[in-house]
Amino acid sequence: MGSISLNGINKSFGSTEVLKNINLDIKDGEFLILIGPSGCGKSTLMNLIAGLEELNSGEIIIDGKDVSGESPKDRDIAMVFQSYALYPTMSVARNICFGLEMNKVPKDEQASILKRVSELLQIDHLLDRKPGQLSGGQRQRVAMGRALARSPKVFLFDEPLSNLDAKLRVEMRTEIKKLHKRIGTTIVYVTHDQIEAMTLADRIAVLKDGKLQQIGTPYEIYNDPVSHFVADFMGSPGMNFIECIVKDQNLIIESGGQKYELIIPCTEALIKSNLDVVLLGIRPEMLTEIQPSVADNSFVQKIKFDVEVIEPMGADTVAIGQWNENEVMARLSPESGNSAGKGFELQVDTSKAILFDPNSGLRIR
Amino acid sequence: MNSFKLTKYNIGRTFIYLILIFFAFIYLAPLYVMFTTSLKDIEEIRSGNLMALPIDPTFYAWKKAWSSACTGSDCNGLAPYFWNSVRIVFPAVIISTIVGAFNGYSLAKWKFKGSEFLFGALLFGCFIPFQVILLPMAKLLGMLGLANTVTGLVLVHVIYGVAFTTLFFRNYYVGIPTELVRAAKLDGAGFFAIFRHIFIPLSTPIFVVTIIWQFTQIWNDFLFGVVYSGSGTQPITVALNNLVNTSVGGKEYNVDMAAAIIAALPTLAVYVIAGKYFVRGLTAGAVKG
Repeated sequence: MGSISLNGINKSFGSTEVLKNINLDIKDGEFLILIGPSGCGKSTLMNLIAGLEELNSGEIIIDGKDVSGESPKDRDIAMVFQSYALYPTMSVARNICFGLEMNKVPKDEQASILKRVSELLQIDHLLDRKPGQLSGGQRQRVAMGRALARSPKVFLFDEPLSNLDAKLRVEMRTEIKKLHKRIGTTIVYVTHDQIEAMTLADRIAVLKDGKLQQIGTPYEIYNDPVSHFVADFMGSPGMNFIECIVKDQNLIIESGGQKYELIIPCTEALIKSNLDVVLLGIRPEMLTEIQPSVADNSFVQKIKFDVEVIEPMGADTVAIGQWNENEVMARLSPESGNSAGKGFELQVDTSKAILFDPNSGLRIR
Repeated sequence: MNSFKLTKYNIGRTFIYLILIFFAFIYLAPLYVMFTTSLKDIEEIRSGNLMALPIDPTFYAWKKAWSSACTGSDCNGLAPYFWNSVRIVFPAVIISTIVGAFNGYSLAKWKFKGSEFLFGALLFGCFIPFQVILLPMAKLLGMLGLANTVTGLVLVHVIYGVAFTTLFFRNYYVGIPTELVRAAKLDGAGFFAIFRHIFIPLSTPIFVVTIIWQFTQIWNDFLFGVVYSGSGTQPITVALNNLVNTSVGGKEYNVDMAAAIIAALPTLAVYVIAGKYFVRGLTAGAVKG
């Protein structure tokens, strides 16, 4: 059992406030991702949960017990570090068993745990090696093995994949997800990679400047962000943001030398906000080439688009141009995208478009 | 095989080697003179050429220097003083190295309020000249009842050495990733367990550096030895000085030379045995995990 409650957490180093009033409940068995740009306090929050840093105020409750003042070893937590932090002079086997050794687990029990963990992670052939003789991916597995050996209440992962090359990162990502399915222990996972967050998380918590911006499922975070920041942070290529003048509940778009009136959802909120200029947020996958069969959708429009740059990505091609002098990315199929140029005919679906207040950056809804 | 060509590169190389050989010669010449002189008899030294090889090599001077040369009033050679030095050096080196390792580990990885200041203050100890503390230290040793004893000299060398050993260990341990400490803390290890299981096994190079440094410093020390030792507890450096300054009859250069080499041999031996670690250890930085 490993539920975590963070209540009113504050942390500052000297006069710099790193975390401001963080409240977060993590359910038992949940895979929670903490995400944010570097310096947002996500690693500090993780260290606080682990007990490696001391709180200024607030409380941390693990499994119903207040552990705020307890030392790391009494919290029953295991952590996988970004640099792996394997003990360089110890063999893989001793690295995995060191925590058991420190907790005075009998030798024969250590051996059976070592066998189980190393087989689970497929590192049983590496047990006699030193960390220096392992590849990056193998070190990653050993670091996870060390965390698994103690069967803790909670796993903490601090950007565990950021030192791996791109291909291995994708492989290990899948393995971590499988592992979580198998053992079902609560995981708190820090990353700045939004793809990792989207693929792994049960829920994502977005942090910025020490404040929690939004907590939700990957679907909610992606499709229903609370602010310009969250919308901008999630998704690759990122969401398009276009400053538009409001006219009769529609938005004025200038594209390919022509003016269009874009029909958008959430018009009631727009009227209520009483703004003349808004920030339109629309994901690149909503801007495509003309689809042969368009369902009866009043939010679909055709717009001329001057493509300035194309970036073929294999599965699709990103075409970059301008609306109202804001850069706009469209996601086209390679067939139509690779030859796109001036005056390309774009199909725009605004059914999932969202609006932001250009001053505060908050959603209009 | 490439034939040697007189290119610009080769001329430069040749020039560099010539200079290196020249300086090596200059540095080694005194050792050569000492060694050859120690193997000559006194007749040959008086009549012969300083640089010439001995005609009839003899170990007479070495025997005399070790066991029967006069240092002041008694004539037992350097042997008793050699063992005095050993009795001073071994405990002093071991204690100062262990204390330095602990200090360095605490200051590098267990920062506390004022730890940086403490380190700065310790560092200051490296810059205090020996002469400045002679009188206060004599007073302290007197108060502790350790004047003129081997234990007193050990204490002085430990106190003086800890500043250096702490500096060495602290700078070495700063290069070891702090995440190792954090990982070990989560694994349930405490201050001493982390030191023993993680830091000590990583420390071979810096132990070697510190031991060579301390051994050389303490073995070669003359000032503390001459000031704080009694007649029976003088280290070999003091005895060597007395031996050279005591003349019964004519000056025996061969005995002086042999005595000087005997006094220098242990430090030479330490450097030859562990020297490669010394160079490596001084440049060793972060440990790859």
